[in-house]
Amino acid sequence: MIKQPPFLKKGNTVAITCPAGYMAKDKAQACIETLQQWGLEVMVGKTLGSSSDNYFSGTDEERLNELQAMLDSENIQAILCGRGGYGVSRIIDRLDFTKFKKKPKWIIGYSDITALHSHLHTNLKIASLHSPMAAAFNDGENKNEFITSLKNAITGKKLKYKCAAHPFNKKGAASGELVGGNLSLLCHLTGTKSDINTKNKILFIEDIGEYIYSIDRMLLQLKRSGKLDKLAGLIIGGFTDMKDTERPFGKTVYEAINDLVKEYNYPTCFNFPVSHSKENYALKVGVNHQLKVTSKSVLLSEI
Amino acid sequence: MKRKQFISSILPAAFVLQPSVLLGNNHHIPGEAEAIKPGYLKKGDTIGITCPAGFITMEDIQPAIAKIKEWGFEVTIGDTVGKKDFTFGGTDEERKKDLQQMLDDKNIKAIMCARGGYGAVRIIDEIDFTKFTKNPKWVIGFSDVTVLHNHINRNFGIASIHSKMCNSFPYDWGKAEPIQIETIESIRQCLSGEKMSYHIVPNNNNKNGEASGILVGGNLKTIETLAGSKSDLITKNKILFVEDTGEYLYSIDRMFWNLKRTGKLDNLAALIIGGFKIKKDDTEAEAFGKTLEAIVLEKIKEFSYPVCFDFPVGHQKNNFALKCGVKHQLTLSSTNGLLKEIS
Repeated sequence: MIKQPPFLKKGNTVAITCPAGYMAKDKAQACIETLQQWGLEVMVGKTLGSSSDNYFSGTDEERLNELQAMLDSENIQAILCGRGGYGVSRIIDRLDFTKFKKKPKWIIGYSDITALHSHLHTNLKIASLHSPMAAAFNDGENKNEFITSLKNAITGKKLKYKCAAHPFNKKGAASGELVGGNLSLLCHLTGTKSDINTKNKILFIEDIGEYIYSIDRMLLQLKRSGKLDKLAGLIIGGFTDMKDTERPFGKTVYEAINDLVKEYNYPTCFNFPVSHSKENYALKVGVNHQLKVTSKSVLLSEI
Repeated sequence: MKRKQFISSILPAAFVLQPSVLLGNNHHIPGEAEAIKPGYLKKGDTIGITCPAGFITMEDIQPAIAKIKEWGFEVTIGDTVGKKDFTFGGTDEERKKDLQQMLDDKNIKAIMCARGGYGAVRIIDEIDFTKFTKNPKWVIGFSDVTVLHNHINRNFGIASIHSKMCNSFPYDWGKAEPIQIETIESIRQCLSGEKMSYHIVPNNNNKNGEASGILVGGNLKTIETLAGSKSDLITKNKILFVEDTGEYLYSIDRMFWNLKRTGKLDNLAALIIGGFKIKKDDTEAEAFGKTLEAIVLEKIKEFSYPVCFDFPVGHQKNNFALKCGVKHQLTLSSTNGLLKEIS
C-alpha cells in the first residue's frame, strides 16, 4: 500500500533545493513569495543560486548533502525542487531514505525529478508530487490553474482534472496507481533499482526536445521491457519542441505513439496537460486514480 | 556401415549444424558463453545487402558491391535497397521481410546492413530466427545494428561483426585515406576467418593491465534503450566496448549511469571506449564541466579491470571490424596496446 506524506498546513515549511541543473536565485523569487502567500514558510537551500560555474547547481556532494539534510530534517514538511535538467541519477544511490521512510514528506518536481518519483515509488512505496517547479511561477503565472493544482495537492484536496477529447483517445474507464513522468528518464531508469513496475497502473508520460524517432525508440523500450502490456490506463502528456531528422520520420509524434499503443485495449488519452509547457497539472505519483475517457472528454480523478 | 558407427559419425555434425541443441546444456547459456561462429566465407560465397533501418539508394551501395566482388564474393541485393518509407528503408513489413529472407536463405553466408539510422528495434521481435540458429551466418553493421548484435548474442549466442556498412565504402578508392582502406579490409579479414588484432594508441587516461573475455558492445544509446528488453546484453566477465555520436556530455554521463545502475559495469573483464562525437553544450553557462574520460573513470573507480580510450571503433573513419561474441584479449601498457582475438 502506498503511503501519502502528511498534507501541509499553514506555518509548515517547504524547502527548495536544486538536485540537478543550475538555477539563479531570482528565477525562484516568485515561487518563494507565492508559497509564503499560501501561508507556508520557505527555506532555501544553498544549491539555489549556488556559486557553481558549470551545468550543475553544485557538486554531487553539495547537491547530495543538501537533499539528504532536507529529507532528514524534522522541520521541513515538503521539498520543492527548483528545477530539473540533469543530475538526480548521479546522487540517488547515495541518498539514505531511513529517516524519510519513517517520516515521509512530499517531494515535488518533474522532468529529471522523475528519477526520485520512480525511486520512491518502487523502493519506499511513498507517494510524491509530479508538478510544476519554481520557474513555472514566473511571468505572472503564479495564480494559473496549474500552480493552483500544486497548492491543492499539497494541502490535501482530492485532485480532479478534466481535459478535451483527442481523436486518438481510446474510450473506457480504469483505476490504478498513477505512475510515470518524463519518458527519457523512465527509459534511462529501466533495469536499475529505480525502475517502475507498471502492472495494473495508470502510466503517464511526457517529454521535450527529442527527435520523433527517439520517442518512437523509447516507446518501443517501454513496450519491449513489458511496461505497456498490462497497464490499467495510459496518459500521453505533452511532447513539446519535438525535432525531426533531415529525412522526416513521416509521422507526428502523437501518430508515432498511437501506432505503438493502439493494439492495447485499456483507456488511453492524448494531450493531457502534463508537460514541459505551462499546461502541467500536479499529479500524485503512487496514489490511486480513476481515468475516464469518453468521446467528449477525459477525466482523471484521485480516488 | 553398421548402425552404431553411423550414429557416432553423424552426431558431431548434428551438433555443429544445430547450435540450438546446445542450449539444453547448462554450460552454454546464450548471451553468457562464447558465441558460436558462423562459417567463414570462401570465394564465391554470397553476401546479402539489406536495410533494416534507414533508407539508402541503389547508387550509394555501388562502391560496396564493387569491393565485395573484388574480394571474390557474390552479392545479393535485398528488396529494401532503394526503397524509401520516409526515413526508413521501406515499411516495417518490407524491412522485416527482406531481413527474414536473408536470414533464411541458405545461399547467403553473410548479411551486410547497408546503413544504420533508426529502425531495427521496430522489427526485431517479428523476426523468426529458427533457421538462422540452425544455419548461422554473419550479420554485419553497427550503430542502430547494435540491436541485431545484442539480440542475436543474448538470445542465440551467435557471433556477429560490428563494422562499417555499405555507406562507408568510398566511391573513389584512389582518393581514400589508408585508414578507410584498412578498416574496410578488416571486414574482409573477419569474414574470411583471419584472427583479428588491433593496435591501440596508448592514452594517459587508460587503466593499464591485461584481461581476456568475450567481446560485446556497440552504440551506447542503443544499449541503453535495450535495457530491460529481451535484447539486453549480459556483460559479466566480458570485454565491453561502447561508442556514440551526436550526444551531449550530460547525456553520455546519464547513459553511463544507466550502464552502472543496471549492473553492466560491475563484473567486466575490461572496458573499451571507442570514438565519441560529442555535441557541444548549448551555452558556456551550460558547460557540463567533465570530460568524457572523467565521466567514464568516475563510474568505474572501484573496479580494477583495464580500460582504454580512443579505441578505433565508432562513427568515424577509424572504425575497425570487431567480432562480437568472440573471445579477445586486451593488453594495455604505457607504451603499447593490443586487442587480439584468442578463440
